[in-house]
Amino acid sequence: MLERITLERRADASALRSAATYGVALVVAVALSLGVMIWAGVPTGALFEELIVQVFLTPAGLARTLTQATPMMLAALAAALCLRLKFWNIGIEGQLLMGAIFATTVALYDIGGPIRLPLMLAASALGGALWIAAPALLRLRFGVSEVIVTLLLSNVAFLFLQHLLFGPFGDTSHNFPTSPVFDEMEKLVRFGFGDTHAGLILAVIAVLAIAVLVHRTRFGFAARFAGDNPRAADALGFETRRVMLISILLGGAMAGLAGGVIVSGTEHRLTQAVGLNMTFNGIVIAALAGNLPLMIPVVSFFIAGLSVASASLKVFYGVSEGIVLIIQGIILLTLVTFQFTATYRVTIRGPEAA
Amino acid sequence: MTDVETARAASADAAPALDVRGVSKRFGEATVLDGVDFDLRKGEVHALLGENGAGKSTLMNILTGIYAADEGQIAVCGAPARIRSPSDAVALGIGMVHQHFKLVMPFTGRENIRLAAGTARAGCDWVTVDARIAEVLRLTGLDVDLDVSVSALSVAERQRIEILKALTLGAEILILDEPTAVLTDQEAERLLGLMRDLASAGHAIVFITHKLREVMTAGDRVSTLRQGRMVMRGRAVTEVTSQALSVAMIGEQETTPIARGASALGAPLLQVQDLSVRNEGVGVVDGVTLTVHSGEIVGLAGVGGNGQRELAEAVLGLIPSTGSIALHGSALTDGSVSDRRAQGMRYVPADRTGHALSPNSSLAENLAAAAVRTGRLGHTFISIRTILGFAKSLINAFGIAGAIAGGRRPVRLLSGGNAQKSVLARELDDAARLIIAHSPTRGLDVAACRFVHDRLIEATARGAGVLLISEDLEEILALSDHIHVISRGRLATTENAKPGREDIGALMLGHA
Repeated sequence: MLERITLERRADASALRSAATYGVALVVAVALSLGVMIWAGVPTGALFEELIVQVFLTPAGLARTLTQATPMMLAALAAALCLRLKFWNIGIEGQLLMGAIFATTVALYDIGGPIRLPLMLAASALGGALWIAAPALLRLRFGVSEVIVTLLLSNVAFLFLQHLLFGPFGDTSHNFPTSPVFDEMEKLVRFGFGDTHAGLILAVIAVLAIAVLVHRTRFGFAARFAGDNPRAADALGFETRRVMLISILLGGAMAGLAGGVIVSGTEHRLTQAVGLNMTFNGIVIAALAGNLPLMIPVVSFFIAGLSVASASLKVFYGVSEGIVLIIQGIILLTLVTFQFTATYRVTIRGPEAA
Repeated sequence: MTDVETARAASADAAPALDVRGVSKRFGEATVLDGVDFDLRKGEVHALLGENGAGKSTLMNILTGIYAADEGQIAVCGAPARIRSPSDAVALGIGMVHQHFKLVMPFTGRENIRLAAGTARAGCDWVTVDARIAEVLRLTGLDVDLDVSVSALSVAERQRIEILKALTLGAEILILDEPTAVLTDQEAERLLGLMRDLASAGHAIVFITHKLREVMTAGDRVSTLRQGRMVMRGRAVTEVTSQALSVAMIGEQETTPIARGASALGAPLLQVQDLSVRNEGVGVVDGVTLTVHSGEIVGLAGVGGNGQRELAEAVLGLIPSTGSIALHGSALTDGSVSDRRAQGMRYVPADRTGHALSPNSSLAENLAAAAVRTGRLGHTFISIRTILGFAKSLINAFGIAGAIAGGRRPVRLLSGGNAQKSVLARELDDAARLIIAHSPTRGLDVAACRFVHDRLIEATARGAGVLLISEDLEEILALSDHIHVISRGRLATTENAKPGREDIGALMLGHA
């Protein structure tokens, strides 16, 4: 059987072909996803209403989608900055939690007086960067696999979060493991459009700044060269390790900032649910965006919409929230498969003719 | 009866082994093979010449079932054959030794052959395979240790395993793709002898090479491909001159050998004193002392893997070393790579895609990389227009073909020759003082080789010095003012500056 399948590398892997492939892949992915949802019990007639109208076309739905997209954009930047350097950061949740913890610390201990909110956000970025510093240094200095270290440090961060919520950060007025609600000056301003808040602007600014950094600066050039071929970058005299370290720390900072934005913009306190699924969301969005910063807001918007839709699917049709992860997985796998066929031509021949 | 069996039955005593008629192959717009005829007889070594991109590999890939021809017929041993997969080719008795070996590294040679036999034919048990291996070894007198991991073997030994593998699978037609490119002169001689032996035993051999001398010594007939057409078909080697072959291969261009007049020796440029490099406790470069003067090409000959790469990287400051390195008389033993490059040191590594280029970045970005690094194209911000403008002048000056859309396409899509041109374009700027060029023409066609050599000579005319590290003895002999030989990390020396071919060969293998 295997002998009848041949792979031929395409001589003309053009930009047009890859764009067309991306389009077809999305159509196939959406079709497969819809199939899965119908199979899971969502009535066919309700799909358009739940997935498009309620999520993107009603004011309340759009507001929810934008609110969810905000930290996703930052998490995706964290993933993309690291993936561009082939540093597999699968501990975005950990960095995000440390960011949330640092921001909450500034808020609960009333540090910084009038500049407390900016200080909270700066602290969150610092927290995320610190949490990725250890795996980054271990990898760059000793070649320790960052896959294991970032993943396990996520668990450490989560246990530390639990320790804080059940101990020093706990709200004594009730028995739930959350911190006390923040003061007004510790909250990001809301636009009066659902829960959308100034964090959205912050995230868009971060996207633009990183797009400029990656595509238009000498540092970004060095990072691209170092990410693609560190040996060649070394031979040209680029400070490969320094460039990689700074990029990775910046990635951690973006994840931390996502945590800061969630606690100061949406939750207004520290909870256990902060950062849920953000590693996977960040990586999926970055991968679908081809690690291009400017594509990240677009993809984040749709993935956030999917996540918002899943909440109502659960309430109205009893479909598990896990369906979102399944659909994200389907989209990602479909895209990767199609990208393969854009590079290789797969031919399966019939049985040998006599 | 299948095609395969028909061919086998007819193979008894027919003289023609292979007959290819009118084979064409297109990839998209590009016609890679255009109505190619080729024939191969039993008991002959048929040399196949052609520049890079002439279509040799495509033709061989069609014969071995990797590609399907768009047009044309192939007959094996006089019977029409349809080769639709590599296993069809094996069943027809066609075997190929690729330039990049297809061996599983941790496996032993025997295991590799068993693996290949197992996939080629169902129900092939190890005892049968081992018996066949023993028989082939007895018939050919091949000498190689089959029971150690392939990764522990030299390139020449791996190649013998590939040949043994093909013969064990029943290859009557053996295709060798540039088999001598990776060998030393002595090893190459031995391989040519083996090819002659196999031919006298009745095998038909296609011998792909870039080296005219080997065609003349080992070939019976010779064919030449140029731009997808067979421009010289099956001429007896005794009837053709190497001049005629060169012309057939590269067209009507002048093919005078590259010779350099002795240029005036300038001041000492690079002075390396007692340089040693240790890798995991093992000395890979051992007390090397050498000097390169301004305007001089110093050749460093040697079998690959004798410390050449480490020496080059230590001089450039990429890896730590002991001893001293001075450029223009000032010590830079502790200087970083960027310090050394600022003083005019440049590096053309042996592995272009692995050590010099960023394959997924555009050609323009690769060309501009050094200038971007020094800040010449902008201190903080770099515009794409600046990069493209900078690249455009280099693309024109070095004639980098395939630079589509001003060099916006990824550099990995370039051919080997053009990739090397882009490395040279970047490294041989006006500020280049000392150029370390490691195997700068490996895998390049005649025209591209000429180009590279001309650029290096030009650089010396400007007063630069070149440390030319190469495994190609012809190249070293043709270009160098002074020749050293490196063997096991040490410089093997002779009294005279330019030792002869035999002396160098002996020094390479550490006999002197």
